[in-house]
Amino acid sequence: MPDTSVKATSSGIARIFEAIKLPVGDPFALAGLIIYALFIFTAIAAPLIAPYDPTEILYTEDYDLASDLLPGEEGHILGTTSLGRDIFSQIVWGARSALLVGFTAAFMVAFIGSVVGLLAGYFGGRVDAFLMRLADVAFGIPFLPFVIVISAFSEPSIWNTVIAMALVLWRDTGRVIRSQVLSLRSRGYVEAARVVGSSDLKIILRHITPNILPLSFLYGSIAIGWAILTEASISFLGFGDPDAISWGFMLQDAFASQALARQAYHWFIPPGLAIILVVSAGFFISRGYENLLFPKLGR
Amino acid sequence: MADTLLSIQDLSIAYQVGALDVVAVSEASFDVPQGAIVGLVGESGCGKTTMARALTRVIADNARIAAGAMQFAGQDLAAMSEREMNNLRWRDISFIPQSAMNSLDPVYRVEYQILEVLRDRGGMSKQQARARAVELFEMVGIDPGRLRDFPHQFSGGMRQRAAIALALALNPKLVVADEPVTALDVIIQRQILDQLRSLQRDLGLSVIMVTHDISVVAYICDRTVVMYAGKVVENCDTATLLNEPLHPYTMGLKNAFPDLQSAGTGVLTPIAGSPPDLIDPPKGCRFAPRCPFATELCRSTEPPLTEAAADHHVACHRADEAATLREVAQDPATWGTAA
Amino acid sequence: MSTLKPFLIRTLQLMLVLWAVVTILFLMFRLMPGNPLAAYIDPTFTAEQQEALIRQFGLDKPLWQQYFTYLGNLLQGELGYSFRYRTPVAERIMLLLPNTLILTFSSLIVAYTFGILAGAWLAWKRNSRFEAAALPAVLATRAMPEFWLGMVLLAIFSFSLGWFPAGGTRSAGTSYDSLWQLYTSANFLSHLFLPMMTLAIYSQGLPLLLMRSNMLDVMKEDFVTMAKIKGLSPSAVVIRHGARNALLPVMTSFAIAVGYQLQGNVVVESVFSWPGLGRELVNAVAASDYPLAQGAFLMIAIVVITMNLIADLLYTFLDPRISHA
Repeated sequence: MPDTSVKATSSGIARIFEAIKLPVGDPFALAGLIIYALFIFTAIAAPLIAPYDPTEILYTEDYDLASDLLPGEEGHILGTTSLGRDIFSQIVWGARSALLVGFTAAFMVAFIGSVVGLLAGYFGGRVDAFLMRLADVAFGIPFLPFVIVISAFSEPSIWNTVIAMALVLWRDTGRVIRSQVLSLRSRGYVEAARVVGSSDLKIILRHITPNILPLSFLYGSIAIGWAILTEASISFLGFGDPDAISWGFMLQDAFASQALARQAYHWFIPPGLAIILVVSAGFFISRGYENLLFPKLGR
Repeated sequence: MADTLLSIQDLSIAYQVGALDVVAVSEASFDVPQGAIVGLVGESGCGKTTMARALTRVIADNARIAAGAMQFAGQDLAAMSEREMNNLRWRDISFIPQSAMNSLDPVYRVEYQILEVLRDRGGMSKQQARARAVELFEMVGIDPGRLRDFPHQFSGGMRQRAAIALALALNPKLVVADEPVTALDVIIQRQILDQLRSLQRDLGLSVIMVTHDISVVAYICDRTVVMYAGKVVENCDTATLLNEPLHPYTMGLKNAFPDLQSAGTGVLTPIAGSPPDLIDPPKGCRFAPRCPFATELCRSTEPPLTEAAADHHVACHRADEAATLREVAQDPATWGTAA
Repeated sequence: MSTLKPFLIRTLQLMLVLWAVVTILFLMFRLMPGNPLAAYIDPTFTAEQQEALIRQFGLDKPLWQQYFTYLGNLLQGELGYSFRYRTPVAERIMLLLPNTLILTFSSLIVAYTFGILAGAWLAWKRNSRFEAAALPAVLATRAMPEFWLGMVLLAIFSFSLGWFPAGGTRSAGTSYDSLWQLYTSANFLSHLFLPMMTLAIYSQGLPLLLMRSNMLDVMKEDFVTMAKIKGLSPSAVVIRHGARNALLPVMTSFAIAVGYQLQGNVVVESVFSWPGLGRELVNAVAASDYPLAQGAFLMIAIVVITMNLIADLLYTFLDPRISHA
């Protein structure tokens, strides 16, 4: 069992920060963190960076529709779409959707998974059996089809997609946290706290939660990538939020507008690269994090 | 005295750890006569296992033979090419590992693993190899009907016997046994050592028996080499070693282990302290920091390995006082852990 | 036998999981906005057709009765009628299933063959510059949206170079006497190539990384050291003892990968207009063809759950420590 216990010396917030320390020592993880910093900055400063409104239909100086411009033409860095929208601006604004989807989904996955794992591991018995069968069911649900059906049948919005993802993806986190809690529970200090008469809530909050936070954080960081990829698929299939400019939406727009047949690589390559960059940055961070938490797993 | 099969001469083996060289075996010398069992005894980390593995030249990636020679039947193992060495492996020098559980491949039947060696390395046909496998199992006292078992279906003792059968498969000249009975209980230990002894006599084998347990040495070995912190400190025939040890470390080691024959009821006295850090070994005698008899000379100057008596090599400044020191060494209080 | 009991328990557990998924599916389609009857009845059906379906699915009964009718129908393979095709859903699904399975298995076989070899090779080359460059590249393939990879391959190899057709399973106007003839025709295989490669490139990362890390662990095992001491040839050491042991968990992951792949198929089939279950699900959902969507979802779930079971079984079967306990 991986030992991720944190020395219980400092308290409260300090301990949490100690627990989720970032893996800056690993070069790949550091690269990932830098990409993330740029990504978050782009998402926040999108209105300042993007030269145009991503949904605005643009016209040339001659009042023609500025459609299908190549990169560089008329000052459009990556050209325009068939409807005359600026591709670069869409990429910039797409970062905002990706950030929103990635982080909310990751938070929900980590939160639900941790709570389930804590309850199952700490209380054991029937609670454990019930929650773990629930996890089995979640493993039996085809993930993408489930998210498609929920997204399509509910109000089209990013939140419904995120909730649908969280409803399935908590399963891995839940199982791992549970086994971690099981090993923590058998350790001396939890036993000692019990003997002294600490309440269950106090033991969970004081002694167990700080020790599972790194794992929650690890699984959360893995979920970011999954969520961004899934949202892209949903948008690509046309079940996404029509009001949000996302990278998946851009790809759907390009695909539906015959960009492939017209060799408009400048239209559909950048959104894909943006997704790869952000998602693999997440992988690098979680790998570095994993090496930090479980050094023996690293080669 | 019989002919010498293997002669280790000033052998040094170093591990590279970061930018540092850690010398695990330092200028070790001893001989293995034809048809004898030679014990290689010492605490863990003294370099005995490194030495044993060096004889097969399958050593850790970061280890290398830094100096010295291993003259085996007229050839220097340390100097020969990898191709020549591989030719000798198992045909002339075989190996009995400490943990037979992990050294048998879990996904193949035991028979397959014996046939593999007989066919790949012994050049036998399938029929010949099958017959030989049965013969080998009978030799080591396992029902040949169990050949088709997987390793995990064997008991610990059976696995160790199978490992011996495997080691004898190609009639080697030298068998290197690395703590072959350590993982077993005392009764099984004795059975296996008896078996090994009788096989060794019948086949005229030479055996190097690596062990931390001086009672195993007492039970089976003709000669014994005592190692401490990478150095050979004493080397002579086993009876002399047990009755008239010259090195204080050997005296201490003797107190620290029960007798395999009497299943030991005497008081055991461990040697206080632990072996030195090989990254920065002490300047004089390496045992001096733990030695109850150490003098200023011991702490400043390293004693050379010399022939103190006929065929009795020792590396101690006070070897000539050994008879007196032995008296004192009998008293547990000498070793500072009596209480 | 002692090995049979845990297997039976696991089977039973997964049957329960299947039942739970079926129940979730029932609720999902019943609780969606709009007319509950819409799950089975298209307004354009004739009055007699509507009547018959209401009776068959008990749509005039309370929800709990509908639920049991639904379970009963499922057990008989009765999934209702597709709104768009006016044919039984089960028939339609059985028609598309082979296409999806061919795509899934061919891509996974390519992915696993490559991934296992490359993973073992990377373990062999550990700490080399080649490894330092290859590992991030492999991780990047895992970070790609599958459909985007499909788009790129389609744009390059179909639209730009014209080497492969752009979609479907065969050229328009061609017909074959049997499915076997179709599946072995050059026409079909050239249509299969791009979607298959798309899924294979995405999927090779899992077996590759798994194989590599297993190899690194196994090569440190005592029995590998012993194989070297025995003087066995390097290929015998690496393949017979190293790879054979490292392969065990990789093979188990194959079954799980089939389940995952089936979900990934949904988008890739859409990109290549591949008439499989995934594309059918998407189209059915988009066209509000509820019975068909439900049926396709159920079929995918059944394959996912079965593959989870096979993964367990495979593990037991391949590891003598368990199968010969």
